[in-house]
Amino acid sequence: MSLAAFGARHGRRPSPAFGLSAPATIFVLVALIGPLALMFRYSLNRFVPGQMMVEALTLANYAKFLADGYYQSVLATTLWVSALSTLLCLVAGFPVAYFLARQANEKWKGRLLLLVILPLLMGNAVRTAAWMVILGDKGLSNALIASVGIAPMKLMYTPTAVVIGLISVLLPFMIVTLQSVLEGIDANLEAASSSLGAGHLTTLWRVILPLALPGILAGTMLCFILSMNAYATPVLIGGPSFHMMAPTVYQQVAKAMNWPFGAALAFVLMAVTLVLTTIANVLVQRRYRRWSE
Amino acid sequence: MGIVAINRVYAALAAVIMAFVLLPLLVVVWVSFFANRILSFPATGYTFDWYVRAWEQDAFRNGFITSVETALIAVAISLALGVPASLALVRYRFPGRDTIQTLLLSPMVVPGIVGGAALFMAFIEIEVLFDVEIAGTLPGLLVAHGLIALPWTIRLVTASLTGMSPSYAEAAQSLGASGLTIFFRITLPIIKPGIVAAVLFSFVISFIDLEKSIFLVGPGRSTLQIALVSYLEWNLDSTVAAVATVQIIIIGALLLVSNRYARLSRAF
Repeated sequence: MSLAAFGARHGRRPSPAFGLSAPATIFVLVALIGPLALMFRYSLNRFVPGQMMVEALTLANYAKFLADGYYQSVLATTLWVSALSTLLCLVAGFPVAYFLARQANEKWKGRLLLLVILPLLMGNAVRTAAWMVILGDKGLSNALIASVGIAPMKLMYTPTAVVIGLISVLLPFMIVTLQSVLEGIDANLEAASSSLGAGHLTTLWRVILPLALPGILAGTMLCFILSMNAYATPVLIGGPSFHMMAPTVYQQVAKAMNWPFGAALAFVLMAVTLVLTTIANVLVQRRYRRWSE
Repeated sequence: MGIVAINRVYAALAAVIMAFVLLPLLVVVWVSFFANRILSFPATGYTFDWYVRAWEQDAFRNGFITSVETALIAVAISLALGVPASLALVRYRFPGRDTIQTLLLSPMVVPGIVGGAALFMAFIEIEVLFDVEIAGTLPGLLVAHGLIALPWTIRLVTASLTGMSPSYAEAAQSLGASGLTIFFRITLPIIKPGIVAAVLFSFVISFIDLEKSIFLVGPGRSTLQIALVSYLEWNLDSTVAAVATVQIIIIGALLLVSNRYARLSRAF
């Protein structure tokens, strides 16, 4: 609706909508957008050890990221751990989501969904603590392994353990997202497909997956973004020699007090996530259009 | 394969994967009763001692109190700001509406660690400029947690407002009711389930936040989640399990209550 048409329809009275939405809008602008802008400005400043930071207009912090192999390896670790965790979440999440979506008994469906959401709302600290108990040297998994006579394994402080911890944190998000999308797909389409002679896997591949693609994309992006920014899991399960981006940002900003570089790292993390999710979005949407034609 | 067989395959897969999702919580509850002094399997006996010890730890007790306090006030902030904003978004078509909606939901999209770092820098900047203390204080934490709760409140309240027919409000208006009267006597009672769900859900989301708060806690004031993580960096014993179990019980209860009012899966 054009502004003129809007004014005409509402008799040129100022809409109460502005007054109603102004406090929340101002709050978000002041508490989020403003600080982000400030942080971006800081990322262009210069850091002199011993002093807080020096006013400057330099890309040195971004250049440092590009020049220092260590920080690139941190980003690389973050990327592959996130991609692997997300992929495994998709593979593991789909059967649960499909089962929930096709569950005819509403009461049971509600209960099962609660069981999915409960761990999701338990917080990363508690779930990470649990995985430390399970994967620790004297943990549950090693006790079980020992009871069948296999030598204990080093599980904690390995990338595998981090991926397991992350999957456990992210899987509920994937399940809930996929479930709501799968539920929107008419079960009659599956019946139609199978009455035309398609096996279940063919139906899955040719009917359900194409239709569920937007939801798959949404769930995948959510998990990827959350794992790119994971803090507790890499710090506690990964141990001191395992480095991912979010803990590094924290370390630079709060411990090393190198705000310009910490800010630059934060923006690199956000930019990489944004670029990758945008590319995925475009690719999937193009595919989706071709499929639905 | 017949339909029945396929459904059984899905049921079996779902059961295994759900077990994986729920396993951590079950293990934590179990371990919290272990009598072992050093955490190891199997249990040498069972005891309630860890719960007493957890409560005796200042970091956990104070962290718990700070977390509850922060979450309650964050809920109040997010309701005060979010309910009017939701009304505006659902009831009115106005220029810039989409932008404002995106903006109000953006705290969910901006990574916690990035938002937390930015807020921390802004607070320190204000502290230097005006000679006040914000980072590491309750008001500072409240700004962050208001930001965490706001988008979830808006989502749930918007959903319940969308489900309400505008004709009730129009009828009241034609009978001469003012905007405020309509809100408190008509709209609020009808969307009450959505409000209750929003309150409980944003309480939980604020309570479990780690990434945004980690920059904003100071000596003497920490949230429970941060206290848990810093404890876990050096120790692993059943004290943590006891704390976690209490959290599981509280959040589980809140979840059951809020699910009675609104389908929580709709919040995502």
